[in-house]
Amino acid sequence: MKNFSETKARSFEKTCRNCSYFQNDPAFIEKEFAGLQSLSSGFASVRARDGICSHHQLYLPMEDSCSDFVLRKSNTEENRKRP
Amino acid sequence: MTEQTIKLGDQPQELLASQKKAAKNLTEDWWAVYLGLGIIVVAYVFYLSGSSISWIAVSPSKWSDFSQLRAQFSKNAVHYLALLAAFLVLFTIVVSFIGQKPKSFVVSFIFIFVLSAIIFAAGNWDQASRYNLEPPLLALLVGLIISNVIGLPRWLDAGFRVEFYIKLGIVLLGATLPFTLIIWAGPVAILQASIVSLATFFAIFFTARKLGLDQRFAAVLGAGGAVCGVSASIAVAGAVRAKKEDPPVAISLVVFWAILLIFVLPFVCRLLQLPTGVGGAWIGTSEFADAAGLAAAQSYGGLANAHTGITGTPEQALASYTLIKVIGRDVWIGIWAFVLAFISITVWERNKMNSKNQAAQIWWRFPKFVIGFLVASVLTSLIIHGHSLAEYNKVVKPTLIAPITSLRTWAFTFSFLSIGLTTRFRELSKAGIKPFVAFIAGVAVNIVLGYVLSVIVFGHYWANITTN
Repeated sequence: MKNFSETKARSFEKTCRNCSYFQNDPAFIEKEFAGLQSLSSGFASVRARDGICSHHQLYLPMEDSCSDFVLRKSNTEENRKRP
Repeated sequence: MTEQTIKLGDQPQELLASQKKAAKNLTEDWWAVYLGLGIIVVAYVFYLSGSSISWIAVSPSKWSDFSQLRAQFSKNAVHYLALLAAFLVLFTIVVSFIGQKPKSFVVSFIFIFVLSAIIFAAGNWDQASRYNLEPPLLALLVGLIISNVIGLPRWLDAGFRVEFYIKLGIVLLGATLPFTLIIWAGPVAILQASIVSLATFFAIFFTARKLGLDQRFAAVLGAGGAVCGVSASIAVAGAVRAKKEDPPVAISLVVFWAILLIFVLPFVCRLLQLPTGVGGAWIGTSEFADAAGLAAAQSYGGLANAHTGITGTPEQALASYTLIKVIGRDVWIGIWAFVLAFISITVWERNKMNSKNQAAQIWWRFPKFVIGFLVASVLTSLIIHGHSLAEYNKVVKPTLIAPITSLRTWAFTFSFLSIGLTTRFRELSKAGIKPFVAFIAGVAVNIVLGYVLSVIVFGHYWANITTN
């Protein structure tokens, strides 16, 4: 049981939400996507905390993963929460 | 837009602080729900105790010369100050929790409140309709001129929260619509909106593919035209793992067409002398974004009178618009994202990511303010139930419904003004000819099919919707 939990935790850690290339802060997304604040919002539910991967240049959900994962030094609460 | 390598260690401290704050709390949608329902509950408590929140829910009334207007404002100065203070306290709490700077917000909101009061008053001039001074259009124009000609410091954007104000306004709008209307008209709204959404999406998607654009980009553009504008584009962009440069292009196109249609649709509706309920339905079917469509629908509803020859009431325009846009289109965004994510993962060309499609995103992406809209409608329907029409008009309407309507109009005005103040045309991404052409295909389908369904097929239905 313990091994299963550890494996699960390790695989969880290697998703975009914990990667240093991934950024999903609402204010940052509004800055990056000009015009977003005009008729929508970085803080809206529909965005579901998706973010930008600066490594692959993609906009994607935080549950994705890839082989280029780099662990973020200090994780933030923001990335753990869902709307 | 400049390319950036983003690593957490490189981020400015203020961004980290903003992340931490945002983390602890709810999305803007939930705040709009709690605030809107809270206002309705307080209004009801006052109503039950034989009083009313009308003391604070003040707004300009009709005037014909400046001395009357001055008299109005000096007589109600304390009420206006109390309203400003109440909005400031409530909104500052919300923006602080979602991660904005309270100091910037306070200054910015005072600016927007004062400007809104002026626009509100201008719309109540007895000659306003003669000069087409509809408050939503005026707010938008004033905002656009200030942001594009005069220019404002960027930090003031903290108070220009288009979506938050519009969501709050829609929750309050729920309190003024009977739930029976939603049950009665909801299925027709869903049918009409679904037909147009699917036709528009496929028109944009296949035109974009024909022009050589990649599937993910075509889907982002298609969703922007078919579902709920910028919000749909951004939701689908995440779901299909779009390239980082795709969403800004879709956003630019939606913003451009949505703002153009705010002026065009009410103008054409007026030329065709459509009843307000029918005009609202057409705008709800063919406009791209919630806030933009509400500006157009409220403008058109405001034109109803004997002088213009437009039949119906302002409330009918708002009701048919909201039913089609919110119930018919917005609520399906999670389903769109889920289906397109599934196709992008299983059918389209693979990227380097290990992606899984989660059904839970249907809920994550659900526009939660719709829940507030429905609950507000149920609440007031229950409150009103058992009153005769005479009692409703004599007691309930002036003491309960009218103050909520006044607060709703304030929220919408803040939103319309914010659209203009945050739309800086020179900062929008250049779309390029191919995305532009693909989007035009969707605009054409959207407008023509929207007209056919709203006016010819279901026209009698929307012309006769009852809002009280």
